[in-house]
Amino acid sequence: MTISTSISEVCKNPIGMLKKYKDSGIGVVGYSCSYVPEELIISAELQPFRIPNFGSAASTLTPTFICQFASAVLENILKLEEFFSGFVLAHTCDPMWRLYDIIKKKVRKPVFFLRVPHNTEGELSTEFFKKELLRLKDFLTEILGAKVADEALLRAIEVCNENRSLLKEVYMRNDDGKYCVNGLDRFQLALASMWMPKKEINAQIKALIFKNNSVRTDKVRLHINGTAIYDLKLIEMIEDAGCFIASDDLCTGSRYFWENVEISRDPIYALADRYLQRTPCPSHGPLQKRLAYIDFMVEKFKARGVLTIAERFCDPILYDAVHVKDMLTKRNIPTMLIDYENFEQEAGRIKTRVEAFIESLSG
Amino acid sequence: MSGEKSRSRVLQATKKIGELILEYFARASEAKAQGKPVAWITVFTPVELLRALDIYPVAPEHFGAMCSARNFIMDYLEEAERKGYSQNLCSYSRCGLGYALSGMSGLMPPPDILITFRNSCDVYVKWWQSLQAHLGTPLFVGEAPYVLAPEDLDNYVLDYVVKQLMDLIKVAEEKFKLKFDEEKLVEAVKLSDKASELWLEALRLRRHKPCPFGGRDSASDIFPLVVMQGTREAVQFYEELLEEVKGKVGKGEGVIENEKYRLLFDGIWLWYAFDLIKYFEDRGAVFVYEPYSEAWAYRLDLSKPLESIAKKVLAMGLNVDIDLRIERFLKSIKEFDIDGAVLFSNRSCKSWSAPQLVTAEIMGDKFDVPYLIFEADMADPRQYAEAQIKNRIDAFLEVLRER
Repeated sequence: MTISTSISEVCKNPIGMLKKYKDSGIGVVGYSCSYVPEELIISAELQPFRIPNFGSAASTLTPTFICQFASAVLENILKLEEFFSGFVLAHTCDPMWRLYDIIKKKVRKPVFFLRVPHNTEGELSTEFFKKELLRLKDFLTEILGAKVADEALLRAIEVCNENRSLLKEVYMRNDDGKYCVNGLDRFQLALASMWMPKKEINAQIKALIFKNNSVRTDKVRLHINGTAIYDLKLIEMIEDAGCFIASDDLCTGSRYFWENVEISRDPIYALADRYLQRTPCPSHGPLQKRLAYIDFMVEKFKARGVLTIAERFCDPILYDAVHVKDMLTKRNIPTMLIDYENFEQEAGRIKTRVEAFIESLSG
Repeated sequence: MSGEKSRSRVLQATKKIGELILEYFARASEAKAQGKPVAWITVFTPVELLRALDIYPVAPEHFGAMCSARNFIMDYLEEAERKGYSQNLCSYSRCGLGYALSGMSGLMPPPDILITFRNSCDVYVKWWQSLQAHLGTPLFVGEAPYVLAPEDLDNYVLDYVVKQLMDLIKVAEEKFKLKFDEEKLVEAVKLSDKASELWLEALRLRRHKPCPFGGRDSASDIFPLVVMQGTREAVQFYEELLEEVKGKVGKGEGVIENEKYRLLFDGIWLWYAFDLIKYFEDRGAVFVYEPYSEAWAYRLDLSKPLESIAKKVLAMGLNVDIDLRIERFLKSIKEFDIDGAVLFSNRSCKSWSAPQLVTAEIMGDKFDVPYLIFEADMADPRQYAEAQIKNRIDAFLEVLRER
């Protein structure tokens, strides 16, 4: 499967898309993570745009021991403010929470803080989150001056569901244990879905699925888990070390699209339910749910080893890494934790470790 | 300075804290032996509610601070690190996990339930989940959403927390075959409110010049408010403390004889380095205000006990919007006549430290309060560069001297 130039170009330079939106007079809402329902932003006829960490170094406004990923997202928000009508940040982990504090004091554009319950189970949390989404709807209408009609919301849910289903369809082609769509390409499709208009990216994915020029491989199949990887040079580096990333548990990968929204009479409730019940971020929901997902992915996509990719100061991943390892050790699946602050500066070390890991699996 | 050696800079009340702590933990083991459930809680869990359920609460964070202050934390930290927990994770959590992984034969009896409310940080959830994974103990995770505006203490946000408290009651009743006693809750709320009232009054007396008690006292004396809320012992402790502090104010007796600089301290104290407070005091600088000291002091409404403790869970210092936090800073700067601020950038407490630079900028630029930011860890002594920090303190005091 060959990704069209425009998608790979978008992935190399998402800021280019921001310029296009600005030139076309399209209002853009920047958001921080996959717990923010793009559906609501789209229904307000605004373009959602996920703020990546690349293109900027960590901000000098945060201490060095704060996740460098979150800090670089902060820096990008400050640098790119002019391209956005407003921002929606979500309470996932401590640094993302505090990003809101800093941004509130540092940017002029409206900022909304979405409180996502960490305890995702049960009706109380869903009802609370529904009220948060209604507050977000009010922000879009009252502060940003957009309109959110029920009909528009249903259409936005449909187009987002279609996008998720297409991404999943491409993904599922790997489940026979043979190489079909390489990891790099799959991650590009997911990332482009966060930056391009949904209808446009959906049409391109459909064309790719139709062509289906996949190839087979006998490379070692790995599962990777972590938070968000925007700079695909890291993925490329891992695959260049001699493996095939058969599956992932990443915020910029399968976690973004694995579940659809069940359309019901109360679309806001349906959104609240989907976003709380989705495949959890390490910061959210029961640990067992995340472990079960990794277990499922490893089994389904026939991984022989698991890499945990962690930003050096990412608390949720670093706690979970112990339990991911415990679980997989019982199943005789080898694991390796790779932590880094700046992967480009640490590329040599990371590559050597991944190569050694793959070699140990091949033996 | 020679005259200073003749009298203690520490309150008599503070000297009793060590004994009180040991007694508290000893009673936890007694309760366990009698078949009462013991809960491991994070420190902003509503202890008052647990009293009404006859569940004995102990706090691994408090245990971590004590292990660090008494210099026996390293074994636990290393145990957790051997298991794979990164040194970049919260040191309280590494201590608590290390203790859990090494058999729990010390002061904290093994838990029958793990209870947390996410409010001051998200680490609580991950730490408690990890404990559950290792120990197999039942887990209750509550959510106290970030308070964006004072209205949240009266709207659906409050309602969400109240309902979770009711859930907790139900879970505990079913699991331990206990009966929630509403009268006991009212009594616990009454005692908790009284302890908060007394402590807040004592803290307010630090406005006096010279300041009657400093950072060494305030860091230690919050302990009864943390886990002993709702007990007569806590009220008695603060009654005695307040009386002593009033006596000092009456006599015009300060922490040090020649008080030159009145300082604000932002952060959790470095438990293994109390001597750093003495270092400031030896140079005429006294800590007169810390947001941390107020963190557990919250006035409760006896007529609405459940709602009242839900508000307390929500409104803890770090869980309220940055503008509300800055407002409190600025108010204290005026009220306590602060000359400078010392901000501890704590590697373990990312939720506290992340926006500190922005807060400091506002204090420095808009309100002309000089500040010092230094980095270390609250409980892990390996992250402490003593000489470097002392050099920076010297430079900071030099700035204050020249003003």
